[in-house]
Amino acid sequence: MKTINEINQKIKDGDAVVVTASEMTEIVAENGPKEAAREVDVVTTGTFGAMCSSGAFLNFGHSDPPIKMARTYLNGVELYSGLAAVDAYIGAAQPNKDPELGLDYGGAHVIEDLIKGEEIELVAEAYGTDCYPLKHVETLITLDKLNQAIMVNPRNCYQNYAVAVNSTDETLYTYMGTLLPNYGNVTYSSAGELSPLINDPYFQTIGFGTKVFLCGAEGYIVGEGTQHSTDVERRHGVPTTSAGTLMLKGDMKKMNPEFLRAATMPKYGPTLYVGVGIPIPVLNEDIAASTGISDEDITCKVVDYGVPRRERPVVKETNYKELKSGKIEINGMEVPTSPLSSLKKARIIAEELKKLIEKSEFLLTSPIYRLPSRGYTLRPLEIRKPSILVRELESKPVIVTHPDENIKEVARKLVENNINHIPVVDEEGILQGIVTSWDIADAVAKGKTSLQDVMTKKVIIAREDEPVEVVARRIDKYDISGLPIVDSDNKVKGIITAEDISRLVGKKMDRGGESI
Amino acid sequence: MKAWLRFLPSIIGKAIISETIKKYDIEFNILRAHITPRGGKMLVEISGPEEKESIKFIEEQGIEVNPIIKVVKKDKDKCIDCGACISLCPVKAINMEEDWTVEIDDQICIGCGFCAKSCPTKSIILFE
Ligand code: SF4
Ligand code: SF4
Repeated sequence: MKTINEINQKIKDGDAVVVTASEMTEIVAENGPKEAAREVDVVTTGTFGAMCSSGAFLNFGHSDPPIKMARTYLNGVELYSGLAAVDAYIGAAQPNKDPELGLDYGGAHVIEDLIKGEEIELVAEAYGTDCYPLKHVETLITLDKLNQAIMVNPRNCYQNYAVAVNSTDETLYTYMGTLLPNYGNVTYSSAGELSPLINDPYFQTIGFGTKVFLCGAEGYIVGEGTQHSTDVERRHGVPTTSAGTLMLKGDMKKMNPEFLRAATMPKYGPTLYVGVGIPIPVLNEDIAASTGISDEDITCKVVDYGVPRRERPVVKETNYKELKSGKIEINGMEVPTSPLSSLKKARIIAEELKKLIEKSEFLLTSPIYRLPSRGYTLRPLEIRKPSILVRELESKPVIVTHPDENIKEVARKLVENNINHIPVVDEEGILQGIVTSWDIADAVAKGKTSLQDVMTKKVIIAREDEPVEVVARRIDKYDISGLPIVDSDNKVKGIITAEDISRLVGKKMDRGGESI
Repeated sequence: MKAWLRFLPSIIGKAIISETIKKYDIEFNILRAHITPRGGKMLVEISGPEEKESIKFIEEQGIEVNPIIKVVKKDKDKCIDCGACISLCPVKAINMEEDWTVEIDDQICIGCGFCAKSCPTKSIILFE
């Protein structure tokens, strides 16, 4: 048993033995946790990942005459100004108000530019009060000129995370990066054995007041992060999916742009890559054992992001050794993997923190209280009026056609039934394609006679068990006017059109429900 | 070698490429193509013992040949070596080195642009 005070004394004397989490894995594998606990004083961890839930409180100082900022923009990115007169919170994931720049320059980019020392345009609007008469300011600021720029990230450093794949036949753009169709690639975000919370899975040393390395400066853990959860499935003590999180605080003025980076996940939005390193004091054999965890022993779940529901289907389990090898096997196929967080930077951060401690420039702190390690489960958001499923829609009897049907006959069906879409099915009713009245007109104009040549074979469909909102987004995304409803065997059950959906939205509004 | 071939509208209809392949002992690989009635361009890879002769022949037929050394370039300062681009590359031109640095091999790259489009820090430039 060691205490943090004893370890700090060793650090001050220059005698502390500090190793990175990767080095610790080898030491524990070779000598066992007992010996490792005697030998090692501090293990350093590191991660450099996209953490959307990051941001900063900024205090601009008072203008003359003074203003109570109600809407505040930095380089066109809106801040949250519902604080006192000249304070605002900038969120990393906030897109630019200019649709042209949109996702390419958001809150994260402003934060990075501030830290790089660049001049930023401040625009603030106000309603004007007796004490704050000014209604508009426009000026340039730099980080130096701000009174405070305090980074406060409500949710960083997820303890493990889901691994993403996409089973659909469309490319998906997600916060887990670009996911190729038909299980074309795999993305993962955790740094595995280097990742801070994985090395102390029950928070035996980590808590409120723990000093950490945050974007090149000293930072502090100010408690558990939002969505912190503890009562999850564990393997070797480590959660097999996302669990614990941290709320972090640091002084932006002391940060180093090398350890933080603005990014944009394509068609998803801005996000901030945040570099965090946490030192773990090896107080006993137990802690030595948990810091000795290897990539192979950290299980995680491959999850299908093709299903846009809260509970996404788990495709399989894997571990970080497999993921870091560059490929994993899914359904008998070899699929390439991509990390989203930078393993290289994670290692540099763990090394950097190790150097700081060795040089006695970074002492450990005893947390005032430890992060909760049980009793936290995630509660979902209950929607009072649950989503309507496609199956529940009243659907008119569906009119279908067959691949060998005459185009004239198809045209007659469209006109007689006053419809615009007609699914093409085989004898068993299984979807083969779709034809619209436009396709038929086009065919007639070009003198085509075979339905096979005219129909669209790659059909965008609605599944019976999908919420209507999901289908509405699909209609928007592909700019189509109607799609066939199919069951799990791909048998056509009906058709849903953009009009059906707007009618439904209208009805929901009448009932005072939420809009789609 | 890898090269962009530029066609004028007047020669789009001619079967110059197949003629070249028949005439010379070369491997002819079309990596990207963009052809319109107003002309077009094609990124190709030509290799084989008669590479030089075949290129000369193509040029004589009125096609502009612009050899390229690079198809993509990674900005080393901007790239954070996250690796998000790796699994998107259809020809495995992007790899993680021993020290977890992400490297693109422009000899293998076919210029599809997936990596450039998906890089979160916009660190990859695609040469058009
Ligand atoms: S996705 Fe971009 S930042 Fe990430 S490794 Fe590739 S080039 Fe570098
Ligand atoms: S442009 Fe395409 S082929 Fe070239 S490196 Fe990027 S993904 Fe690979």
